[in-house]
Amino acid sequence: MGSVGKDIAHDSAVGHVSGESIYIDDMAFAKNELIVDFYASPVANGKIVSIDLTRASNVPGIVGLYTHKDIEGHNKFGPIIADEYLLAEEKVEFIGQPIVVIAGETRKAVLAARKVIDVKIDVLEPTLTIDQSIARKQYLAEPRFIKRGDVDAGFAEADHILEGRFISGGQDHFYLEGQAAIVYPGEYDNLVVHSSTQHPSEVQEVIAHVLGLQQNQVVCITKRMGGGFGGKECQATHPACMASLVAHKTKRPARIVYNKDDDMSFTGGRHPFQNDYKVGFTKDGVITALKTDLYTNGGAANDLSTAVLGRAMTHADNAYFIANAHINGYACKTNLPPNTAFRGFGGPQGVVNIENIMEEIALFLGKDPFDVRSANCYGIEERNTTPYGQIVYNNLLPALLKKVAETSDYKNRLEAVKKFNQTSKTHLKGISITPVKFGISFTTKFLNQANAMVLIYKDGTVLVSTGATEMGQGANTKIRQLVADEFAIDPNMVIMAPTATDKNNNTSATAASAATDLNGSAAVDACVKIRQRLAECAANYLSSDGAGISPSPSHIVFADGNVFDKRRPDKKLTFAEIVSAAYHERINLGERGFYATPGIDFNWKTGVGQPFLYYTQGAACSEVLIDRFTGELKVVRADLWMDIGKSINPGIDRGQITGAYIQGMGWVTTEELRRSEDGVLLSHSPTTYKIPNVQDMPRVFNVDLFDNDKNDVNIKGSKAVGEPPFLLAISVWTAVKQAIASVSKEAAQKLKLPATNEEIIMCMATSKKSALASAKQTKA
Amino acid sequence: MLLGCWQRYHIYAFARWLNFKPMRDYIVLYINGKECRVAGADAFLPLSSYLRYVQSATGTKVVCEEGDCGACTVLSGAVSGDEIAYRPINACIQNVYQLDLRHVITIEGLKVDGELNCVQKSMVQNQGAQCGFCTPGIVVAMCSLFDKKCESKTPATEEEIRDALTGNLCRCTGYEPIIRAGLETNTEEAIALRALYPSRQIIESIGKHKGDAPLVQYEERIFFGPQSISEAVEFKAKHAGTTIIQGGTDVCVQMNKRGFDPKVIMSLNNVSGLNELNVEDGILRVGGRATLAQLEEKVTQLIPEFADILWVFGSPQIKNAGTLAGNIVNASPIADTIPFLYVMDAEFELTGSKGVRKVKADSFYKGYKKLDLQSDEIVTQVNIPLPKKSSTLKLYKVSKRKNLDISTFTAAVVMERENDQIRSARIAYGGVAEVVLRLPKTEEFLAGKKFTEETFVAAGKIARGEIRPISDVRGEADFRLILAETILEKFFHECNEEQAAWAR
Repeated sequence: MGSVGKDIAHDSAVGHVSGESIYIDDMAFAKNELIVDFYASPVANGKIVSIDLTRASNVPGIVGLYTHKDIEGHNKFGPIIADEYLLAEEKVEFIGQPIVVIAGETRKAVLAARKVIDVKIDVLEPTLTIDQSIARKQYLAEPRFIKRGDVDAGFAEADHILEGRFISGGQDHFYLEGQAAIVYPGEYDNLVVHSSTQHPSEVQEVIAHVLGLQQNQVVCITKRMGGGFGGKECQATHPACMASLVAHKTKRPARIVYNKDDDMSFTGGRHPFQNDYKVGFTKDGVITALKTDLYTNGGAANDLSTAVLGRAMTHADNAYFIANAHINGYACKTNLPPNTAFRGFGGPQGVVNIENIMEEIALFLGKDPFDVRSANCYGIEERNTTPYGQIVYNNLLPALLKKVAETSDYKNRLEAVKKFNQTSKTHLKGISITPVKFGISFTTKFLNQANAMVLIYKDGTVLVSTGATEMGQGANTKIRQLVADEFAIDPNMVIMAPTATDKNNNTSATAASAATDLNGSAAVDACVKIRQRLAECAANYLSSDGAGISPSPSHIVFADGNVFDKRRPDKKLTFAEIVSAAYHERINLGERGFYATPGIDFNWKTGVGQPFLYYTQGAACSEVLIDRFTGELKVVRADLWMDIGKSINPGIDRGQITGAYIQGMGWVTTEELRRSEDGVLLSHSPTTYKIPNVQDMPRVFNVDLFDNDKNDVNIKGSKAVGEPPFLLAISVWTAVKQAIASVSKEAAQKLKLPATNEEIIMCMATSKKSALASAKQTKA
Repeated sequence: MLLGCWQRYHIYAFARWLNFKPMRDYIVLYINGKECRVAGADAFLPLSSYLRYVQSATGTKVVCEEGDCGACTVLSGAVSGDEIAYRPINACIQNVYQLDLRHVITIEGLKVDGELNCVQKSMVQNQGAQCGFCTPGIVVAMCSLFDKKCESKTPATEEEIRDALTGNLCRCTGYEPIIRAGLETNTEEAIALRALYPSRQIIESIGKHKGDAPLVQYEERIFFGPQSISEAVEFKAKHAGTTIIQGGTDVCVQMNKRGFDPKVIMSLNNVSGLNELNVEDGILRVGGRATLAQLEEKVTQLIPEFADILWVFGSPQIKNAGTLAGNIVNASPIADTIPFLYVMDAEFELTGSKGVRKVKADSFYKGYKKLDLQSDEIVTQVNIPLPKKSSTLKLYKVSKRKNLDISTFTAAVVMERENDQIRSARIAYGGVAEVVLRLPKTEEFLAGKKFTEETFVAAGKIARGEIRPISDVRGEADFRLILAETILEKFFHECNEEQAAWAR
């Protein structure tokens, strides 16, 4: 019996529950270690007039103060477009942009120096919103388009046309462990960097680039992160570079750890979007044409904005066939910290746009939004091609919609909700079902590769390292299971080594939900090669001593920790025994594995391609209860269904689903990044930025995995799970919209995302009278 | 240097003035059963920093440094009779000096004979940890719950588990696996903390230090831990700028985040008495250092409406440290207890060198953070008349998130009525001005009016005119104006509707 498919504990669980797991700032201080921090721009837009470090350098305990002039390599870099500066040169473009790196003997000294660094800046008017960026024609890149069919003909054919604007807000990752790195200098300018990053290779590459070193001089190691969610894909690079600069200059170990307030204020998060749409539809609610312009607030540098925008565009259809579609994407340059990857990577922002449109159509036609969604859903044999030309194979969306409607008792509860809203004077309810179809693969083709190293030691234990980093999501546990099964051994015999660039080179970020898909496949590739060699060795060994059979590797079976020849199952070797035998026969017990996702590509010039290996799908039903007077909102029940193929570890996958849904619920309800007119983030700690807490969990929370054994394109028939369930929480927002619509259509149309209590009350305020009137009318 | 000499002289003089009462120049605390004597700079560190950087006990994590995430949760044990009672607190907003004579249990001290305890095992089996950064805090908070279960051996309910974890944020799991871990924790295996750390030995050891009050100095800072109110008052009279750090749930946040750096600090933690709650003649008397957790427990039966507000007020960690007196003296216009104290006509007993003085709640606040409190006075008791059976009391707290959030707006309404005639109403709003306000015009309007929707709609309009809210991170002024107006309609409808829409 293998371990794949079983709910096996997370490989760090014992360390986590006993406080023994080690994160960056838990590492013991080395002798001579320096504390690193930085002086950040206090203004969103301005020209640097002067930098005076005299007072700061006189602070006792200060060892070094560095500006862009101290950078020996390149100050400019970026994951897609090289438009970011490690340290500001002539101008500052966002609050939190590093200007001076500070190194000191103690944290106290560093904080004292930070206070007396004197940077004079000519303050310029900042661009903070998408509207301002459009007015000033400030974009990060050329616009992108996906076009299919003839939208004009589609509009002509429509019975009705609606136009509107939909606005969704940003979100802070709120990983619990802040950005952190420790750098140890070595001989010949080499550096060993411990970084809390999802992308060790990028950290390595950018450090080498900034310091003018060769990439082989820098090793980046990531044991684990205290949460990532996309926030440590690109933005872990800056702290690691700053600590590296100090270590390189001083030849002393250097540690940087952002506190929560700085982390939230100075690093980017989920991209806010502002979308205009024009949709044509039949009297039955079937969309005939959609033209939508997606504008995203990318912040001061591109970071991953164009890729995020791309994913928003390829998810602008979500689960719906749109024959005539014209999807335009614009990445706006503003003076916010560069926004970056965040679970879903633009997908949620694209999907919520079409889900809002579904609500608008239903409101307009007076139909149940569920029926409108079902009418537009991708078909199995026809109406199954996306606007960018990929066919939705193994389409389970109609089945998932049906399933969730059944198990949530949607129709009956919808009636109950309507009745409740007619009678309650104090509260409102809303119930909504939304589906999700999420494309798996990096939309940038070359990122879809991974390598792994598998080492077997003489005692039969296995050490595996891959490019996958562990941020809690359980990639290491799943890969451990995959490797254990290849050798038919107990997963406890397999240890996942920290991710390190000297073991696995040129790795892709642990992102796009694909870490297990890519790195697990690479690890299995390595295992298969070693197993073949072991089988040959075993074939010789088991056929010796008058066994009466000739050596035949194809008859060798690995099962339950043993190795035997099918023809002589009584004669067994333990895995450790065959490994020991192989060692003495001088057989290579280590291997590198490699995997590149086959058959995918995308062309942004034409907006056509096959960007995804497959789609992870799901559907959710959420019911909300809202206080009419205070706007307080509670998700009272959620029913989630996910198709994640054949799960490698249902316990871990379930945790991804519940975690993603609650995180998504935060995005659509209480998590609000509030800024001053100057762009200062006001909600920069958990006192003012409210992620869901345990009391916000739905009291009824049903999570089910949909049976699907047909995803044969991916490792063991599994599907990626990290991001897709985040989008299930869009059903919370649409439920709020419906609740508000029950008292005022006009108020519902105004609703933005997040639907905070204030947003709900302010939307309803203008239509307060009609709200009370409708309640009265129905009673009479 | 000069200042240092002066300070030392000062302390010496102070000690002499207290008739050479023996003093300690160090803090004594116990960490996972081991005694630690902490003097000098370390005594002024947040407990979390002391644990992580001095003791190298890095299992306790620090995230927000303001008591809002729970990653730093530890158990603080105080001697209570011949036992030690353990309660979870936030180690990031407790300075070492506040923990004098306490036994602190951290995540490192929760295994049983080197093996995972029942909570830890269940967390492993139920995938209760993902990234693991919040996990130590979650485990500690949950162990506190199961410590209470060790005798009854009854399983924890979902509600108990949620309430135990209100102060612990998790960004990975969506809490569901953690709740399941709690539900599936094997209570048969639950070990009492007092069995893990035999109380008798620790209490004996604490007893040796109990007679000496700590007076700890580092650079220009002094900490004093008096043993009686008179000592405290005398000290405060002598040092006009003394900051009392009791629970520290707000002051320590200001120290961590806003550069507040008090030089002369006193904690009443070792003062005997002052932590009692009792009811006499229809008045609830709350001692000056009674915690919000004690208060919540006491009023659950007595004033359920107030208990509900205390439930959402904060986390167990905050309520175990914070006191009612602290909430009062901290004087925030959005302090959650103050509107209630206003409408109940509560009275504060202030003890100073001239004796005890009594002040009514609604005349205590003179302006933003300005109090009718002399420099030598300490709030030693709060007297709250219990609501009459005939009156209707409703309390409101509006915040972005329901639990553990700072209010955008608060309200308290207590009303007497006969059938459909309103006899009188007392109304107080918070978050609408620099202090909590009573609404005299609205109250006057309501007296004698018919109990109808129209009355409350009209009253709301008057209420709106009595306030002057501002816009801030917690809400726009317009939002607060709408809340101020319509909360009275909500009050009316709630009086009529039986439905309890907000199940816990």
